[in-house]
Amino acid sequence: MPIFTGRPVARVLVICASLLLLCATETAAQASSPAATVSPLMHEVTDGYGRTVRIPLNPSRIVSLAPSLTETLYALGVEDRLVGDTDYCDYPPEAQKKPKVGGVINPNLEQIAVLHPDLVLVTKEGNLLDTVRALDTLGIPTYATDARTINQIISSTQKLADVLNVSSAGKVLGDDLQRRLAALQERLGGAPPRRVLFIVWPEPLISIGKDTFIADALRRAGAASIVDSTQDWPQVSLEEVAHLQPDYLVLAASHTGSADNDFEALANRPGWQILDAVRNRRFTVVSDAIIRPAPRMISVIEELAHKLHPDLFPETPGTEKETAPANNPSPNPFQPKPMALGTATWTCSLESPCVL
Amino acid sequence: MRPLTLGRLFLRCSILAVILFVVVVIALKLGAVQVSLYGLGRDLIRVLLRQSSSISSDYGLIVLNIRLPRILLAIVVGASLSVAGASFQALLRNPLADPYVLGISSGAAVGSIVALMVENQLALSPEFAGLITPFGAFLGAAVTIAAVYYLGRRDGQIDSTTLLLGGIITASFLSAIIMFLMSTLAGGNLRGASYWMMGSLSTLPPESLLFLLGIGFFVATGAIYTTASDLNLLLAGEKEAMHLGVDVRRVQIVVYLAASILTGLAVSVSGAIGYVGLLVPHAMRMIFGSDHRMLIPSSALGGAIALVIADTIARTVAAPSDLPVGAVTAMVGAPFFIYLLRRRLS
Repeated sequence: MPIFTGRPVARVLVICASLLLLCATETAAQASSPAATVSPLMHEVTDGYGRTVRIPLNPSRIVSLAPSLTETLYALGVEDRLVGDTDYCDYPPEAQKKPKVGGVINPNLEQIAVLHPDLVLVTKEGNLLDTVRALDTLGIPTYATDARTINQIISSTQKLADVLNVSSAGKVLGDDLQRRLAALQERLGGAPPRRVLFIVWPEPLISIGKDTFIADALRRAGAASIVDSTQDWPQVSLEEVAHLQPDYLVLAASHTGSADNDFEALANRPGWQILDAVRNRRFTVVSDAIIRPAPRMISVIEELAHKLHPDLFPETPGTEKETAPANNPSPNPFQPKPMALGTATWTCSLESPCVL
Repeated sequence: MRPLTLGRLFLRCSILAVILFVVVVIALKLGAVQVSLYGLGRDLIRVLLRQSSSISSDYGLIVLNIRLPRILLAIVVGASLSVAGASFQALLRNPLADPYVLGISSGAAVGSIVALMVENQLALSPEFAGLITPFGAFLGAAVTIAAVYYLGRRDGQIDSTTLLLGGIITASFLSAIIMFLMSTLAGGNLRGASYWMMGSLSTLPPESLLFLLGIGFFVATGAIYTTASDLNLLLAGEKEAMHLGVDVRRVQIVVYLAASILTGLAVSVSGAIGYVGLLVPHAMRMIFGSDHRMLIPSSALGGAIALVIADTIARTVAAPSDLPVGAVTAMVGAPFFIYLLRRRLS
């Protein structure tokens, strides 16, 4: 029986195995020629990544990979073209009934592909570049928005409207939002801004940096964040907050309880009594739309301005000083939604910025 | 045990290859979107007949463009990690050595992250940029092995317990570095920390990358295979092998570099997937014996089988969400590690 010696056999083996793998890769390469959705009406646009992307002139099967984009599509009145969205797309409630493609950070490529989208929308902030690259490999066009200020939220909404071939709807929406913002600025006039702590997540305490759209929203609502960080989602210590003593605490509504419950949960955490704002119950719970860069943001800014400066808005009912429970009648009713955002916010803040 | 013959080697490898093929077909069928076995078979035959154009675009897209590349990635990564594991076990003469347990995967992950950050700064041409991450991962792996090797030495000899402890501490230290890099310096587009620490095959690899991985795997595994007989003699000890005419230094350097390449390649595309490099070579040793001429090819095939199965579980168990594949391998691998440790102690 011939006992073989290592080397020649090794060579034979390596060669055989290489051939096998080459065949396999070639098959894959052949197979993965882009599933060309051959549409003659394509055009090139520049998106939020600064890329030039080729997309259909009139996209008719859209998948949205961010709750803010889903909301924007509804606001533009093109929801009938939305064929799929993420597990976190819960506003408006009808958006929950659209076919789901998984999470924002880990969408399921198979679920996206089977919907045959001619355009997938992503946000530069919330989605991963890997997702975009994978969709590129599959030949599915993507368009990314990028909004880091309130003005950019409005302009990127209008640009998205242009991309979706509904420019006039975008213009109407954008003008309305700008008009409401201008009216609000006039109303606030030179009122001194309230010094607030915006709480993204209480434990560990995560607040906002100055370059986020939330910081911009606070400024527009006549408030200023006491946290002055260049990081977008800085973790801050309670000590530092106690040193700065904010006038108000601002937090986004959870879906699990009333505004008072949200505040009580916070106030009962060890150490929080150190804050004047906690002892004097000076807090404001606003709609969770504040963490989504979508048109609804303008309503949140109005809501926040009314709650922080009730003296400037005497005609608005139910905005008594300090506490304003979420079920108060206000110009912008935000009904609690069934999905628990708590978990969503948590996963996001661990993995990537908390922007949905 | 009967001597290993060329015929027996091929027979055993063929059996493993057939098992791999069956596992791949099953993996192609399972997923978030339902595909019938009949449709799958018909499409596969069309691919073999080079008539892929006649495949219905719907399932062709999902099976051939999404699942197949991911399965090929699992094959290359699983094979690389297993061969790397078998090599480290021989090199360090410690059956509990594994790229993940010894912190080598974490070192490769740190290398990848740093390379990705550099790549983002430099704005290089895409072809060149694709090479930086695997190279960074290789450097990270190579430096970490060297460090763990010197941590594990006592009086000029490798001490098994010290080596393992050194490796585990190194892994924990490097995980802290990963967390630090992810939460301070890195931008949002470097994937999450859990991707690097737990491992995931969910990013769709471009074909050029799969090709690079395949070439790298065969070059490195081929290099290790040339030392297979010497590795058998090394099991008896460095001095003994030297007396038998083995160029111990050369063998060690070849295996060290090749195993670093394998770990680096695997981690740069999938993060730190643990325990494959521990579990598979052990299973293969139990079945086929510890002759490295058999152990290395069988570990490659066995690693591919194991990771394709693990990734299929990761894809389907919580569909449409993806579980990190490292969570699946660790759930099986960590108890097995404890079992091996207990058995050695008794």
